[in-house]
Amino acid sequence: MSGGEIELIDLNKHFGPHRAVDNINLQIPGGEFFSLLGSSGCGKTTTLRMIAGFERPTSGQIVLDGADMTETPPHKRHVNTVFQSYALFPHLNVFDNVAFGLRRQKVEPDQVKRRVNEALELVQLTSFEKRKPAQMSGGQQQRVALARALVLKPAVLLLDEPLGALDARLRKQLQVELKSLQQQVGITFVYVTHDQEEALTMSDRIAVMSNGRIEQVAPPEEIYEAPATVFVADFLGVSNLMDAVASGSDATGRCKVKVGGFDCYAGRGSADATGTTKVTIRPERVRLEPKGTGGENRIPGTVQRWVYLGNSVQLIVGLATGAKIQALMQNTGEEIPYREGAEVAVHLPATALRILEDTGAPLASAED
Amino acid sequence: MTAVTERRRIAAPSTAQRIRNWILNPWGEPRGLVVITWIYVAISIVPVVVAIMFSFNAGRSVTAWQGFSLTRWYLDDPRSSVIGDPRLQHALLQSLKLAGLTMLIATPLGVMLALGLARWRGRLASASNFIMLFPLVTPELVMGVSLFLVFVNLFTFIPLGTTAQVMGHVTFSLSYVVVIVRGRLFSIGRQYEEAAADLGATPWETLRLVVLPLLLPAIFSSLMMVFAISIDDFVISAWLSCGSSCDTVPIRVYSSTRGAPLPSINALATVMVAMTLTAIGIAWVVHRYMTRGERRTGKQGGMTQAMGAFDL
Repeated sequence: MSGGEIELIDLNKHFGPHRAVDNINLQIPGGEFFSLLGSSGCGKTTTLRMIAGFERPTSGQIVLDGADMTETPPHKRHVNTVFQSYALFPHLNVFDNVAFGLRRQKVEPDQVKRRVNEALELVQLTSFEKRKPAQMSGGQQQRVALARALVLKPAVLLLDEPLGALDARLRKQLQVELKSLQQQVGITFVYVTHDQEEALTMSDRIAVMSNGRIEQVAPPEEIYEAPATVFVADFLGVSNLMDAVASGSDATGRCKVKVGGFDCYAGRGSADATGTTKVTIRPERVRLEPKGTGGENRIPGTVQRWVYLGNSVQLIVGLATGAKIQALMQNTGEEIPYREGAEVAVHLPATALRILEDTGAPLASAED
Repeated sequence: MTAVTERRRIAAPSTAQRIRNWILNPWGEPRGLVVITWIYVAISIVPVVVAIMFSFNAGRSVTAWQGFSLTRWYLDDPRSSVIGDPRLQHALLQSLKLAGLTMLIATPLGVMLALGLARWRGRLASASNFIMLFPLVTPELVMGVSLFLVFVNLFTFIPLGTTAQVMGHVTFSLSYVVVIVRGRLFSIGRQYEEAAADLGATPWETLRLVVLPLLLPAIFSSLMMVFAISIDDFVISAWLSCGSSCDTVPIRVYSSTRGAPLPSINALATVMVAMTLTAIGIAWVVHRYMTRGERRTGKQGGMTQAMGAFDL
């Protein structure tokens, strides 16, 4: 199936002085499961509402399959939305809810019946036609909302935190179903969520947003493994952010950084970075060595907490720089010699140390 | 370890405390409040009950009980019963006519105004929003005088009479419709309209197929509310009256009781109370029926409550 390609060009939405969406450029190819990820108020929902046509952009263009639809009213756009609150019409039963859009297109009654049944079959709700939305559970209502949007065979399906109101177990189950549904129908999904796990498990690509701007657009693995900015690293729960001063790349193509007075090399991220920024390292890549061990990228520290997690042990280490980092050590059955209070040399291997770009976006972790 | 610790003795609550607890009934209905509520209900209903009682008086007094007659002042008395006295009959018809017309005119107007006020933003909307509330806060007497002056000096092409009375009633009952309908509109929110537009409905289709059906309970409540308000109205009806042929039930009751009142006036008032109660009763039943799909028992609660819908 082709079509469903969306392009957002220099898109802006201002509410008074507040820039809800600040110059966004995005290209979403047809058939992609694309997620807009960010905390509340980051502009992801506003972006989605602009694509749907509920908000009018302050400036910029929205292009669907090569046609500008910036000025097209919502009822004439070939996109459909699954709302966070489902917005099922309470006075109509399930069948009439799903048939609503088809009837607006003046589809023949027998066609309506056939297509509604197909759509309900797709979401596994065949025997619920006569029910009113209020007589159904949250998960079932969610499926009706999906069927109601999919029955129109839209070029693009917009989903605004569709799983937000469901409990954790149902959410997990529907995540899997949504993903396979998307592969089955093959249309573009634009999915808004604040749940990083949801975005990571379902998406082909993710755009992480903050303050109305896009911080990074990349496939899930890349977002998680190679966050480009401080905000992305922080938002995805990659802790171990350390203040650093970068001074460009050295002969081997690594970036020289000063982490709290200690010279280090960062082998990942932008090697040409200069100035104040942050570096990060995954907890499982941090090595603890006996105190005094020499070599590059080694910073003295003290184990402050020792937390047994079963398959691994988490150690919180206070570095001599004043920063605190986490180290995760696999429980291999061998004794881990570093208990609380032990002085160690913390090895941050250059191959694992990533230099980040600081966009100045306020960090989620800074709140607590 | 083996020693059994002696059970601590705890003093039983004192009598004063027990009385206090009985009144406050902390784990049930607060009995004190229940008593006060019943006293309030009794006090406010006594005058109505007395008035209704005297409509069944066998004699001609409205103050001294002279025996029971079920139908004398309603049907039997040839000259002064509700049926027998043409003036009373006429007043009843005039009241019904005014209330019916007001209901049918004010409700659609009010619904449109509410839709506009709830969905438009800007200076015009907030100005009308403010002006709309005037009839609710203006003393009715002032409203009456102003309307009277308007019809006498400005709208001279409309003579005082039924038309002017209907217009007066519409003017002040409109606010109630707007308040009721707008409350429902706000509680419904914009989501259903957006969903309809998203599914390809034009704004007109959205209004017809989604907004109006969702507003039906509120529209119906408004109809009955306006009917009840209009049929009770005295001040505006009196100011815009064209004389005895425009008299409504309240005006008739007022002028009769200033002369030599007969229990037939009580009978007339009783008929009115019955009609008002019927209107409210019908509204309640229909509202319950219309929102039955939104109400759900159980821990998830009704959608009506969730949406904060207007409930009678």
